[in-house]
Amino acid sequence: MNLQRKLQQLLSSMVQPLTAVLIGLLTGAVAISIVGASVIETYKVMWDGAFGNFYFITATLARATPIIFIGLGLAIAFRAGVFNMGAEGQMVLGAVSAALAALYVPGPGIIKILVALAAGFLAGGLWSLLAGWMETRFKVQLLISTLLLNYVAVLFAGYLVSHPFQDKSGSAALAQTTMLNQAAWLPKLFPGMSVNLGFVIAIVFAIILFIILRFTSAGYEVRMLGYNPFFAEYGGINKIKVLLYSMFSSGGIAGLAGTVEVLGSQYRYVEGSLTVPGYAWTGLMAALLANSNPLGTAVAAILLAALQTGAMGMERNTEVPLEIASVIQGVLILFVTAKITINWWKVKKKGGDIHGAA
Amino acid sequence: MELLDLSFFTSAIRMISPILLAALGGALCARVGIFNVGLEGLILAGAFSAIVGNYYSGSVLVAVLVGALGSVLVSLLFGLAAIRFKANPIVAGIAINFLVLGLTTFGLRAIFDVKGAFYDKNMEGLPKIDIPVIEGIPVIGKLLSGHSPLVYVAFLAAILLYIFFYRTVVGFRVLAVGKNEAAARSLGLKVTILQYGAIVGCGILCGLAGAQLSLGQVTMFTEGMTAGRGFIALVAMMLGQSHPIGIVGSSLLFGLMDALSIRLQGFSMPTQFTAMLPYVITIFAMFFLKDRGADSQLSGQQSSR
Amino acid sequence: MTYRLEMKEMSKKYGEFLANDAISVQLKKGEVLAIVGENGAGKTTLMRMLYGLEQPTSGEIKLNGKTVKFSGPLDAIEHGIGMVHQHFMLFSDFTVTENIVIGHEPKRNGFFNRKEAVEKVKELSEQYNIYVNPLKKTGDCSIGEQQRIEILKVLYQGADIIILDEPTAVLTPLEVQELLKIIEFLAQQGKSIILITHKLPEVMKVADQITVLRNGRVTGNVLKQNTDVEQLATMMVGRELQKLTDRIQLDSLPLLVIDNVTIGAKDAKPILDHLSLTVNRGEIVGIAGVSGNGQSELIQAISGLRKIDSGSVTLGDKTLTGKSVAYRRNAGLAHIPEDRYLWGAAKEATVEETGLMGYYRKKNLNQSSFIRLKPFRKLVSAWIDTFEIKTSSLDEKSGNLSGGNLQKLIVARELGFETDFLIAAEPTRGVDIGAMEYIHEAIIEKRNNGDGILLVSSELTEILTLSDRIAVMYEGKIVDILDRKDATEERLSVLMAGGNENESSTKTTTTA
Repeated sequence: MNLQRKLQQLLSSMVQPLTAVLIGLLTGAVAISIVGASVIETYKVMWDGAFGNFYFITATLARATPIIFIGLGLAIAFRAGVFNMGAEGQMVLGAVSAALAALYVPGPGIIKILVALAAGFLAGGLWSLLAGWMETRFKVQLLISTLLLNYVAVLFAGYLVSHPFQDKSGSAALAQTTMLNQAAWLPKLFPGMSVNLGFVIAIVFAIILFIILRFTSAGYEVRMLGYNPFFAEYGGINKIKVLLYSMFSSGGIAGLAGTVEVLGSQYRYVEGSLTVPGYAWTGLMAALLANSNPLGTAVAAILLAALQTGAMGMERNTEVPLEIASVIQGVLILFVTAKITINWWKVKKKGGDIHGAA
Repeated sequence: MELLDLSFFTSAIRMISPILLAALGGALCARVGIFNVGLEGLILAGAFSAIVGNYYSGSVLVAVLVGALGSVLVSLLFGLAAIRFKANPIVAGIAINFLVLGLTTFGLRAIFDVKGAFYDKNMEGLPKIDIPVIEGIPVIGKLLSGHSPLVYVAFLAAILLYIFFYRTVVGFRVLAVGKNEAAARSLGLKVTILQYGAIVGCGILCGLAGAQLSLGQVTMFTEGMTAGRGFIALVAMMLGQSHPIGIVGSSLLFGLMDALSIRLQGFSMPTQFTAMLPYVITIFAMFFLKDRGADSQLSGQQSSR
Repeated sequence: MTYRLEMKEMSKKYGEFLANDAISVQLKKGEVLAIVGENGAGKTTLMRMLYGLEQPTSGEIKLNGKTVKFSGPLDAIEHGIGMVHQHFMLFSDFTVTENIVIGHEPKRNGFFNRKEAVEKVKELSEQYNIYVNPLKKTGDCSIGEQQRIEILKVLYQGADIIILDEPTAVLTPLEVQELLKIIEFLAQQGKSIILITHKLPEVMKVADQITVLRNGRVTGNVLKQNTDVEQLATMMVGRELQKLTDRIQLDSLPLLVIDNVTIGAKDAKPILDHLSLTVNRGEIVGIAGVSGNGQSELIQAISGLRKIDSGSVTLGDKTLTGKSVAYRRNAGLAHIPEDRYLWGAAKEATVEETGLMGYYRKKNLNQSSFIRLKPFRKLVSAWIDTFEIKTSSLDEKSGNLSGGNLQKLIVARELGFETDFLIAAEPTRGVDIGAMEYIHEAIIEKRNNGDGILLVSSELTEILTLSDRIAVMYEGKIVDILDRKDATEERLSVLMAGGNENESSTKTTTTA
């Protein structure tokens, strides 16, 4: 009986995001027909682009990897009730720190990898913690400070790879670090395919995060803080402490997004390689779609990545531009956020009536 | 080429105008209590609509109007989501950005059947206006005269917005809504109408910003041509505390830094630090500035305060 | 004769709950009517209907003989009804003038004529002897000044009937005197004033007519000269026979000591005014008082949710002053909060999660930071059985529980900590009779076990049923502490309303 109820609750929580996805796909269909292509054909190509064969499936998973990390990081922040908009900056700082660590730390490959992972996590975490500290100590709004710190982080990383740590080996002056020693590479999961160990690490993190949030005291404190900070304080939870370590973890995991891309995919830090694909925004959407549930976020991230790789397939094989993914994503999120608030608003109203009047 | 010669300042002023216009639009929304992160999308919508208008009408004036209209339509969508459906304005703004990015690229394909950029040598861009007496003045003349009309509109808009907020009744009520929505409602002020009005106003300003982008220098639309200007406008708005004159100042700062970065590239100096400067300044300002417009009220986050 | 305002048989039902039951009120020109009653008596609901914020379930409102219906506050304002809310609706960044004229700004071609506005404000100010500085920023004004701004605002809007909702709650004694003078002057100028309050001494100073509400009904309607504070207090509280249960006599060792605690700014009225109180082991101390006299802040000061400006709080041999909430809970403090939705639970959390607060840290339920859900679920299920909490499952969202059931969950949780000291604030609010008795028994049993309980309740019957000693709070102070055997409703209600209790209370009144 309990299992049945759990399934029911799971299904009902998926109704909203699924409806939004449906509306998104419908909008996409409209756009496709305006361009003059056949809707069914085009969507089939999209499916093939994402999942058509093993190569594409792994490409989708590879693209999903940084998105999963960012989504997870943001999920923690949202659960704690804060809007961390700084995932992009945290990711980039994590990436460049990891690249530098892997390049300059002596020792066998495994040491390089571990130190790089730690450096990436720390860099992203500390950058995020900075914003958290400014909020708790100086009441500088997190939303704004994280947004601004993004620019500082991305520009600083850009500086590092255009000047002091620039790859001077080739003839062209590129804004990137030298390539990492092969020992420091995260292995690919399948020969010839782009997906690497980072994907596994991402999934592992998703599971760990789910367990922590659900089953540990720390997770409980984070969730209660997000649900009702007054309740949290009343019960003895140290709001500042929880906020700060949530921000740190959030930024750290975002930092891992960049780290894993560097160690497993690009083997160097290249300016713009993390920002142009819009990983940060997509990760945000994944967390929103899944209502900050870690496992759901991972699934949503893979879905969104599939949308994007599928769109690339569309671009290659049809007249439809890959930006259709943006259209679908935009509509999707718009409907998710509007619906979520309609429901929640209804419940709030009901709660008001339960209180009764004065 | 000198570092800070006249052409530097003239191009700086030109680059400021879209940011100034959009920041003013953002300030309108902020003052009514809505934090509009979707400026990027609104500007892009304006830029695209302006090119479409220009292509089909052949008139630059119509193009600018169509640009404004395009942006207003998108802003109404945003308004509907944020006000009527009480969506989180930040998420809605982000969604709008994505949506417009996709739709405009789509539009390129659907209407002009091109990828990447659309350029038609028969289309006229915005004219350069030479102001009769002023252009004669030695240094300042070159600085002030010879810009596209929208540049002048931008600075005019700042002045008009100032007058609107601090001298008119409607502007006063807009400020009231942003400061204390509950009190405004209890007084019977038409809160919803004022909010939608502000959003439409924001749409118009961002539409003009977009038109300046696509018609002001080279008459062309490129995919994603806003390139983050919407967010820079947002930051300029914050630094300027949603105050029209403050925003002129902060936009000037951003514009100058932007132009400086490009100049410095010619000297192979690290440009990132000058580019960073406005943001760092804004962060420091956040420590001291208490009144950040109405952002504080409706950014919608919990905190440990 | 035609009254300026007549409210006839006004009733308001919220679902099953009858907030106002056929209330009738008449008000003349130039008259001051005080509507008194405890919290929950129905005063605010009645006024909300008059101001157009609510529609009556039945009844009618007549202005100068004509029946009217208000679609909203704007409508009421246009009919000359102005409301000065208990919580000011002001814009702190705007000037005094701007706050007064907003909504009806003097204008020329759409431009705000601020000069003319200042002139008008000055005129109004002089006409009614209400002094404000027109150019000052409202945020810089004192509370008294802000209230005067609110009054001028309704006068500017053309109010002939002015409703003041608990106006003296936040005023210093000096400011109260000034306000009463303003009210008198306004009445002389022909305005009709409705004063909503529970502070009887002020009522006796300034009101012409007094209507007493209790449980949504009128229990008395008198002219000032025909009544006094005791009579009004009795009408406010009613007479109900109490069943006094016997208690075990226990040795009294001090458990919770509140010593000379003050919370409050220097120029404003202190929220807690050098308050001292001791709760002994094996004792229930009840705090009687109308809410808004500092009880909430006292609870927050003890539980650690609010800082105090001076004084100390000790629990047993541990000093609590300056310590965190977690420390205090560990020292042996549990807390049933007065607002279950604000403090006591999280609507989105499941029943299990709400119940878990505080327990997740306990050693027997926590294994290297992993919460042992199974034994905890057994515990919560036991609570659900004993307290008969109606919930479909442990995974039900707390917000879906009815108010009473959520309260039972919270009570069960806090009692389950088995601490030495318990704060019980409005512990049976919204709870059905059966559960109320169960909770009361549980609290008495806790007391008999030697624990100390601080009971805060606006229900006098509850206070009288449970307390060993009763302290009455009024305006941030403890005005008196009565022993259980000496306490009667009359004495308590007089103290709660700010009166000095007299020896004789032989007046009998017929309750409507």
